[in-house]
Amino acid sequence: MNIILTVLLVWLGVCIGTYCIAVIQQLVLLGPRRVGAAFVLPISFALMLLQQENLVPRKADYFLFRSAPFIALVVVAMIALVVPLAPNLIGFNPSIGLFYFIVLLSPFVVALMNAGWSQNSKEGVFSTLRAAAHLISYEVPIGFAAIGPVMAAQSLSTQQIVQSQAGLWYVVWQPLGLVIYLVSSLFVTFRHPFDSPMGGSELEGGVFAEYSGTRLLLFKIVLDAMFLLLMSMGVLLFFGGWQGPILPPTLWFILKTLALAAIVLWIGRFLPRLRSDQMLTLCWKILLPASLLNITLVGILTLILPGGS
Amino acid sequence: MTGKSNVTTQTRSSISARRRHSLRQYFAIDGGSGAHLLAALGGYSPYLRPVASPRHADLLIIVAPISQKLVPAIVEIAQALPQPAHVLLIHEPTGELAGSSEVTIVDSKTLFRDVRSITTSLAEEVFQAISDTAPWAELALKDSTVQDTETIQLPSKQEQEMATELVVLSLGPIQPFTAGPLRIFLICDGEQVLSAQVESGYAQRGISRAMMQTGWQQSLNLARSLDPLAPIAGQLAYVRAIEQIQNWQPSPPMVVLREAALALERARNQLWWLVRFMRLLADVQLGDRAYQLATSFETSLTQLWHLQPATWILPQWQGKIECNEPAIVQLKQLADAVEAFNTAIKRNRWFALRTRGIGVLPTLLLKDSDISDAVLQENELGKGDVLSRLVNCTLRAVTDLRNTANMLSNNVSPVAHTENWTLPGGEAQVTVAGLRGQIGLHLNSDGGEKPAHVEWQSLSASLLSLLPEILAGQKLADAEIILASLNLAMAEADG
Repeated sequence: MNIILTVLLVWLGVCIGTYCIAVIQQLVLLGPRRVGAAFVLPISFALMLLQQENLVPRKADYFLFRSAPFIALVVVAMIALVVPLAPNLIGFNPSIGLFYFIVLLSPFVVALMNAGWSQNSKEGVFSTLRAAAHLISYEVPIGFAAIGPVMAAQSLSTQQIVQSQAGLWYVVWQPLGLVIYLVSSLFVTFRHPFDSPMGGSELEGGVFAEYSGTRLLLFKIVLDAMFLLLMSMGVLLFFGGWQGPILPPTLWFILKTLALAAIVLWIGRFLPRLRSDQMLTLCWKILLPASLLNITLVGILTLILPGGS
Repeated sequence: MTGKSNVTTQTRSSISARRRHSLRQYFAIDGGSGAHLLAALGGYSPYLRPVASPRHADLLIIVAPISQKLVPAIVEIAQALPQPAHVLLIHEPTGELAGSSEVTIVDSKTLFRDVRSITTSLAEEVFQAISDTAPWAELALKDSTVQDTETIQLPSKQEQEMATELVVLSLGPIQPFTAGPLRIFLICDGEQVLSAQVESGYAQRGISRAMMQTGWQQSLNLARSLDPLAPIAGQLAYVRAIEQIQNWQPSPPMVVLREAALALERARNQLWWLVRFMRLLADVQLGDRAYQLATSFETSLTQLWHLQPATWILPQWQGKIECNEPAIVQLKQLADAVEAFNTAIKRNRWFALRTRGIGVLPTLLLKDSDISDAVLQENELGKGDVLSRLVNCTLRAVTDLRNTANMLSNNVSPVAHTENWTLPGGEAQVTVAGLRGQIGLHLNSDGGEKPAHVEWQSLSASLLSLLPEILAGQKLADAEIILASLNLAMAEADG
């Protein structure tokens, strides 16, 4: 019973956090003068889509088209379970929590690929293939970036990783890992400026081009939730999770997560949308070698620094 | 009774407030005259948002004129909108073609059962019309139209290391990259564009033919409509041609005033084009700055003239034209702001990453196509790619704004004279410096009440013919940026 309540509490936290991400996104887009609109718009958007018809294109793959948003939702709900909001507030605490988190990122992108492929349109196929190329490319650096904290904490458990940062946050001596992790996170959630499978005008909305109504709403919520979870995992890996003075641990965790999300989204404001091949170049030629360098440096520092094994 | 009325008023105002705070996502169809209006609307209110796919929209905004060729595309888009959805028709913001029976355009009301329609060129009025609490019928087409079933023959593919299939992607006819509708078939090998086929004529209204069927004075409105985004250029070309046939020379101050009005129109077009281009690249920061510049310019422009140029650019017309001094100062300040924006573009390395080295216009190709004015000069100044086009265009806006401010500061009002629409027989060939280059007009008069022959020449049409060569070999994601960087006005190209 206690576990069920915790799981429900975590999911409720994710729902509220997702709304906060949507608000932050609006604030970044509209600027500080439209704070009221930033709070109203996500609700307004949801209400608009709830009233809208759910269209299925002609000759679409009916099962894949309808199931894709639900697959994405299930994946996000499962990922949320391993994110600890406080020392004892975690839905599911396996010893390989971080591994579980990274592995489940793949089915999420598969859900998006299903959405694009099932539309029976050329634009859908193009955006699906772009999404697939991104998936293959960015799973590698995001995994390597997360290995740094794992090496330092000597554990794949998210709880353990946070506790091992009691003295010093990993961001202090693994800044490169953080940068790689954040860039890869933007990629995984198809955020600007890496949103060409979603937002390219030549593909008329990309993977979601044919979605409308509640299914589109579900996808938008899932994307925001996934971004929130990736940012919260970033806080766990590099910013000491819930640790902090005076305030309750959960509040620290929420504040850190939302602050990190706001910074990342704000930086995106200054960049134009990158082309697909430029993104892949960034991954294979810059981020991948950088992540290998990061692992090497972390390995050396773990041996040198006091407390390292 | 009074109390009830008050309650009703309060209820209406609360509904109106609620409507203003309920999100509307719109898909816009620009028949050729709505590029500036739609660019302004895109940043007017956070509660009104443009979307790339009609499936995500609950509102269809159509800016007239609508040609017969564009009707199937409009019908297809209207059918793609999920219900409940509404449609708003915006007729000729400049009002030039309204009621003109000679021009071949479709009455947009014949396409839909019940529509809300307005005539405006202001984003504020469009937003008010959308927020209006009056009953609004849902989008419903009157009858289905035959779908476009044209197919493109794929070229045979040469043997390569990896066997892939070629695919034809249709860009348009409703697309945000040009001002007005244009269809481009991109034959792609994955993300690579192998070749392109251009299909224009979606904004065709038969302006030249219509001018030959109407009187000299009425043709002025049609000349203004050639490019609804640059009415002064069309009007001035027509007036100059008439004055040439009448063998009459305007006074130097009048020439200066006309040039100033034309330069301001060019600057206006350039600034709104910048807004559209930055949005296309999804650069929020530069997009916001460009939007602020364009809206500031609009404010200065509305305060500048006591008498609008449309009312005084007439054959042999001369009179006292007064300019608002503070507005002239604002123009100078705006020129500085645009220059700062230009510097920001040049220094932005991320921006260069997306725009440098693509869509190069070879000088030889331009010369072969008889393009020998501003485009060629700008091309020779830079590397001829998208970035250099953007930088040069912004610089041209700075020059236009500064020159205009100086011209208007030193100008002396000319002596009074009235317009003269009587024409002897004769012929005139004139050019006017438009946004992209020279707009040419060949006008013949046989001494009658109508023009005997009218022929327009525009640079947009010449650039259209170069598109297949420019787009071939580019990346798919670059094709849209290259197309947008040319700033083609389809109404001008199709005529």
